[in-house]
Amino acid sequence: MMKKRLLIANRSEIAIRIIRSAHKLGMYAIVFRSDKEQDALYLKFADEIIDAKDADDEKPIFLNQQKIVDLAVQHNIDLIHPGYGFLSENPDFAALCIANNINFIGPSPELIRDMGLKTVAKHMAVEAGLPLVPGSEGPVANAQDAKEFADKIGYPVILKASAGGGGRGMRIVEKPETIERNFKAAYDEALAAFGNGDIFIEKYLQNPKHLEFQILGDKHGNVIHLGERECSLQRKHQKIIEEAPSASVTSKMREEMGAMAVRFAQKIGYYSAGTIEYIMDEDGSYYFMEMNTRIQVEHPVTEMITGVDLVDWQIKIALDEKLTLKQEDIKINGWAIECRVNTEDPQNRFSPQTGFIDKINFPQNSSVRLETGFLSGSIVTPYFDSMIAKIIVHGADREDVINKTLNALYNFNIIGLKTTVPFCIAVLKHPDFINATYTTRWVDKVYTPDMLENEDDEVIAALAATIMYASEYLQLQGDIPAYKNDALNVWVLNKRLNY
Amino acid sequence: MGTSYKYKRDASRLFIAVRDNGKRYKIYIPRESNPVIDGNEKEIDFIEQDDFQYTFNFNDKQFYCELVSRDQNKAVVIVNGVEYKFSLESIFSYVRRGMISTGDDKNSANNIVAPMPGKIIEICLHEGDLVNAGEPVLTLEAMKMQNEITADCDGVIQKIRVNEGQSVMKDELLVEIQSIDV
Repeated sequence: MMKKRLLIANRSEIAIRIIRSAHKLGMYAIVFRSDKEQDALYLKFADEIIDAKDADDEKPIFLNQQKIVDLAVQHNIDLIHPGYGFLSENPDFAALCIANNINFIGPSPELIRDMGLKTVAKHMAVEAGLPLVPGSEGPVANAQDAKEFADKIGYPVILKASAGGGGRGMRIVEKPETIERNFKAAYDEALAAFGNGDIFIEKYLQNPKHLEFQILGDKHGNVIHLGERECSLQRKHQKIIEEAPSASVTSKMREEMGAMAVRFAQKIGYYSAGTIEYIMDEDGSYYFMEMNTRIQVEHPVTEMITGVDLVDWQIKIALDEKLTLKQEDIKINGWAIECRVNTEDPQNRFSPQTGFIDKINFPQNSSVRLETGFLSGSIVTPYFDSMIAKIIVHGADREDVINKTLNALYNFNIIGLKTTVPFCIAVLKHPDFINATYTTRWVDKVYTPDMLENEDDEVIAALAATIMYASEYLQLQGDIPAYKNDALNVWVLNKRLNY
Repeated sequence: MGTSYKYKRDASRLFIAVRDNGKRYKIYIPRESNPVIDGNEKEIDFIEQDDFQYTFNFNDKQFYCELVSRDQNKAVVIVNGVEYKFSLESIFSYVRRGMISTGDDKNSANNIVAPMPGKIIEICLHEGDLVNAGEPVLTLEAMKMQNEITADCDGVIQKIRVNEGQSVMKDELLVEIQSIDV
């Protein structure tokens, strides 16, 4: 039988990750070379490279549906793996692949479309018996109704303009005394801003946790879940640290929430890998948020604790294979943490850093799984996202994995760009993480950049700065007799002074 | 002479690093031993150097440093991924700018005056030298006894007002010392 040809419509670490699975399953792995990142590391792992010639295109190849499919057809591609981001949750792209007789690795375009429409997904979730954040199903008629509704679901509540979005037209109401006044203000604002005064009311979760269940379903109606991940540690609504399992989920809850996720997936006829997201309140009540239909960045933590290769299964399911794993086969072994290494400055509001990586040394030991698309000499371009690596660590239990992860992070060293690694260290050492009480608002409410500093680092910084200053100062003073000095030549400076 | 003292003679190796948050470090880089930071010798091993990058070992941990900017006496250093900003000065300019308290009472307290009448036998240091608290500065002979006169503080010898062989009165100012306790 001819080897199947699998094209990866993605880049960086996830391209390398998918190549690994393709090779394991005896396929050719083919990738695109984008002009925006010509010397990327992932190219070295592929069996074939298609030159995308996207220098003059409006967007990079990974976002160019028609061009991807045209090139795939030209190169006799059997399957396309979209990875995450880019076109991975674009129903039109999935449909275009299928229309050109290319197997799209993921669920059907219809499922992608439905899950992408929040109201549709929520409606389907309710039908499957999943809880939603309590709220009015339609707009609230007037201030009196708003008060009655809020009294019923409990404070605080959030008032949302149905035409709003991105934070506009939202008001948080803490107590019954102010609900009517706030409703009127929200109504007037919405009417003025959007020409539509419809206001929804919903329970406001002050310190929520983000939990998500990994599921796998095949095209024959079999669905299992692989436990949860906790992804509450976020900045700018994007995850930085993920762990599995979650310390906030008891085994009874896991069973319940997992069974719900499976029931939902079965009801909508889901296949491929998918993720059901829940938001959890401080009192442990949880609500369905949305479903992701792609492989997720943080999938390795689930793989580490279950021993199941999710990307292998995505491919096998796309090839109509039956899921041979049963729910009872899924056992959780130990604990795993993933830290995302982004080239961002945690001392300066996580502003992105681009440029040349002079030197990068990754931690290497048996408990560390490293996923990266970069090495010393790589360039971080402004065209793509800032994640350059994922450091995934497995431990016997939560305490063990936190210690091992810290060790791994201490052994990470990069020269050239600032990264989120010092931030991850600060988080892992913080009592809120150690006690697992951190929430999605941790960065906004608790984090300050001085958490990144420590006394030893500061002493060494002062010393390094002094040495650099001293070596020049002493040379300058060299011929003034009172400061006579051969050179600052022994301790550290011989090399520096000889240049 | 005086190898057990943390500060060797050469005051031009003593610097003040002030962080942007105001925190000050007094750093002495001797020729052949560990650096002295805020008066304490630190076991800091230098492992590697490459242009503007240094690697140190301290407390059994590696420290990766990178000089990211240098402008006059200002330096920005990244250590283990975190940025620290310092301004740097030699001890001389620091003293000159009056950054060290020179209040008369405090300052004069550091000067050496003759505790008794006698004759200067030996002066151990030169102007501009660094001296350690408790280190002999000169020898004064009185009543046929030689007395070592020591410094009260870590400091810089500002002015030596006497010569060897000179006779001095009780309470006569012998040596002016500028304390470097910042």
